[in-house]
Amino acid sequence: MSVAVELRHISKRFPGVIANKDVSMSVETGTVHALVGENGAGKSTVMKILYGMQRPDSGEILVNGTTVHFKNPNDAIEASIGMVHQHFMLADNFTVLENVILGSEPQHGITIDFAAARTKVVEMAAQYGLEIDPDVLVEELGVGQRQRVEILKVLYRGARILIFDEPTAVLVPQEVDDLFNALKGLRAQGMAIIFISHKLDEVLRVADDVTVIRAGSTVAEVKSKDVTARQLAELMVGSELPQPSTHGDTRRPEITLALKDVSIPTKSGSRDLISHVTFNLHAGEVVGIAGVEGNGQAELVEAIMGLRDYTGVIEFSAANINDLSVAHRRDLGIGLIPEDRQRQAMMMESPLWENRILGHQRGKPVMNGFVLDMKTIMTDTKSIMEEFDVRAPGPQTLAAALSGGNQQKFIVGREMSKAPSLLVASHPTRGVDVGAQGAIWEELRRAREKGMAIVLISADLEELIGMSDRLLVMLRGVVTAELDPAKTTPEQLGSAMTGAS
Amino acid sequence: MKTKAVKFLRYATILVFVLAIIRQITGASDLTSVGTASAALLLSVPIVLAGLGGLFSERSGVVNIGLEGMMVMGAWAGGMIGTKHGPWLGLLAAIVFGAVGALVHAIATITFGVDHVVSGVAINIIAMGLVRYLSTLLYKAGTWQGPSQSPDVNSIGTNSLPVLSGGNYFGWKSPDLLASLAEKHWFFISDLAAILRGITGDLSYVTVLAIAMVPLSLFVLWKTAFGLRLRSAGEAPIAAESLGVNVYAMKYAGVLISGGLAGLGGGFLAIVAANHYQENQVAGRGYIGLAALLFGNYRPGGIMMGAGLFGFADALQLRDSASVHALILLIVVVLAALVVRDIRKGKIVKAALTFAFAGLSLWYFMAVKELPGQLVTMTPYIATLLIMSLASQRLRMPAADGIPYRRGGLR
Repeated sequence: MSVAVELRHISKRFPGVIANKDVSMSVETGTVHALVGENGAGKSTVMKILYGMQRPDSGEILVNGTTVHFKNPNDAIEASIGMVHQHFMLADNFTVLENVILGSEPQHGITIDFAAARTKVVEMAAQYGLEIDPDVLVEELGVGQRQRVEILKVLYRGARILIFDEPTAVLVPQEVDDLFNALKGLRAQGMAIIFISHKLDEVLRVADDVTVIRAGSTVAEVKSKDVTARQLAELMVGSELPQPSTHGDTRRPEITLALKDVSIPTKSGSRDLISHVTFNLHAGEVVGIAGVEGNGQAELVEAIMGLRDYTGVIEFSAANINDLSVAHRRDLGIGLIPEDRQRQAMMMESPLWENRILGHQRGKPVMNGFVLDMKTIMTDTKSIMEEFDVRAPGPQTLAAALSGGNQQKFIVGREMSKAPSLLVASHPTRGVDVGAQGAIWEELRRAREKGMAIVLISADLEELIGMSDRLLVMLRGVVTAELDPAKTTPEQLGSAMTGAS
Repeated sequence: MKTKAVKFLRYATILVFVLAIIRQITGASDLTSVGTASAALLLSVPIVLAGLGGLFSERSGVVNIGLEGMMVMGAWAGGMIGTKHGPWLGLLAAIVFGAVGALVHAIATITFGVDHVVSGVAINIIAMGLVRYLSTLLYKAGTWQGPSQSPDVNSIGTNSLPVLSGGNYFGWKSPDLLASLAEKHWFFISDLAAILRGITGDLSYVTVLAIAMVPLSLFVLWKTAFGLRLRSAGEAPIAAESLGVNVYAMKYAGVLISGGLAGLGGGFLAIVAANHYQENQVAGRGYIGLAALLFGNYRPGGIMMGAGLFGFADALQLRDSASVHALILLIVVVLAALVVRDIRKGKIVKAALTFAFAGLSLWYFMAVKELPGQLVTMTPYIATLLIMSLASQRLRMPAADGIPYRRGGLR
């Protein structure tokens, strides 16, 4: 096999930080090569250099054996390198076809030869297993299909070396499977694929080779069949890993949350979004809700928080809260870590102290009568940042300037600051690095010991099994099984989630 | 496309039918006369051009409030150059002057990242002052009426559809079938013929040119690579950049074309609609063009309809205030149709509101025999406002419209 891309001793420094220091990797044609590392380890910088978006201070890039110097992405595209961006670069109001051909349109006289373009795209899509309707608007597509469009765009331009920047971050499991099948197809066609990720189980599923990068330097290049996820993770962080686990039974007799026959009917009258969900949650107990995404977990959270109409009864501390507003419920002591922190939990363009106020805008300690109590807010924000190890210059820092892990730690800190008696935690550690993950788990453990009841929703099965006292499996809106996490393996839980068992 | 055209023809026929009924009921014969239709066309052309100007600019992602100012510059140049060098050169100068105004807007917004609205408003104010200043400099007592009005421009020839709407061809006088049909006063048929005669007879070449811009814009923006790239600059500039599209060039092109079209619209006002430049000739048509752009949901066909609506209302109020009174009845009918549509879609609250409005209009129609003059003058604006607010549409502006763009967004 020949080497498609080789990076030799790449270094890149930005003012004040060294992003890359002596990074080397070599990617063979017809393989999937994963580049793994924690957030901030310098993965993205490596790829930006390879894609011509940034230039290295020193080092060499070889494509198919010859040294190249890219000034901009167009040079990289010319050298048959393509990038599938994490944040899709698509015009929503354009059709799939228009998005794919934009910038290199086949001409027919003075018009675009749409017929030829359509034929080519449809053929290409069939060849690589990326079937899609070329004439549908991108805004009507789901995330997985949008990613297909991105891949088609890159292939349409003749790329033979494909860079995928955290492609699974936005996908649901089913879409991840589709993507991996497509990747295997591309590999079989002799493409070289560079796969950037920090999700190690996925890396091991799809990659042939793995390069591990830590603090800007490559620390190992291994064959994926020779390592376990655990070994890779330890290479990534350079030390032992935190474990999702709880100690002992902290369950108290009083029932904090009780759902009785809770259903959410759809307007159209088809299958209920969630149907007859009934469970009790004691103080000091963690109940894990397992399920493939889109099986009613999000709706369940919305029902508990009062964001959605439902039938049935929800009781909080033995009192019916059906008629209470979201604000009222929060005031009673229900905290929420939403699943999408950037959309639902933070104002990205606002400073942290304003984000501190979100959800706590009524009364102490934020308000002093009708005015904001700025002094308390500032000290409070600072103490949250200290206590929860949020790494940012200060309360005035914009939320957008924080890494995902720090944002999440801040949200957890904010919700904990009021010491709620019930916390609804939806994917509390999704997309955060290992360090932050450990810190968040530790917080949840401590809160549980103090008697907080926690509804934990997660796609990370180890997290669910490790942190929960009890597991409920949701499938198509119905609780189909209750499992004891101590006697459940991730494999068993996985098959329960898909309804296979 | 074909079904769309059929749909359009069907709606147009229904509209004419309704108009014919209303004419019968109220006796307001000007509602469907040849003169009204012809005036409506003449009045809508500058708005169509302004709207298309806005289309090119906003599709490339630059909000163009400055259309008004660009039209003012076009009108002035049309009048001044037209006086000296003939109407065709006048129109060319109008396009160039409009584009010069657009160039200022482009440099400010695209290169320097000035807020689009601020720059546009500035251009409007500067344009007014500038043309007044230039007029004063060029003013020659005697031949001029005054510094606010240029001498007359020679007129541009007209054209008609042979056989159907008359005209002379190489010494042969064509019959005028539509006009003779229109004079028969047959219900509906004569109404239809009169309207067709109005919009096909005695057309200025410039009118034909301007109307041809509508399909031409559609073609350029949706069928050519240039158009696709220009629209991509307005929808997703960073994505476009990542695919090697020169977003700056596309935005410049969009804004310059915009200015050229707006300038042509201004020139049309000075050379065709009137026969000289006069201060305040544009009188807000740039803004109405923007309204037509929104009404038309950023599509050329829609812009033409919006402009036509305005032109029709404007023509009526200019020609015959009694017809404006009859127009209220048309509004009632349109509102009633909207009520039916909303009920079908299950939007009860909206239907009720619209129904109340329809009732109010009907009451007003019954109660008032003659509209006060001020209200008559306001008709086109009220009609625009009403239709825009009630004909709820899925307005889809370009996703990155008005957002300053910096190269290197990829980084």
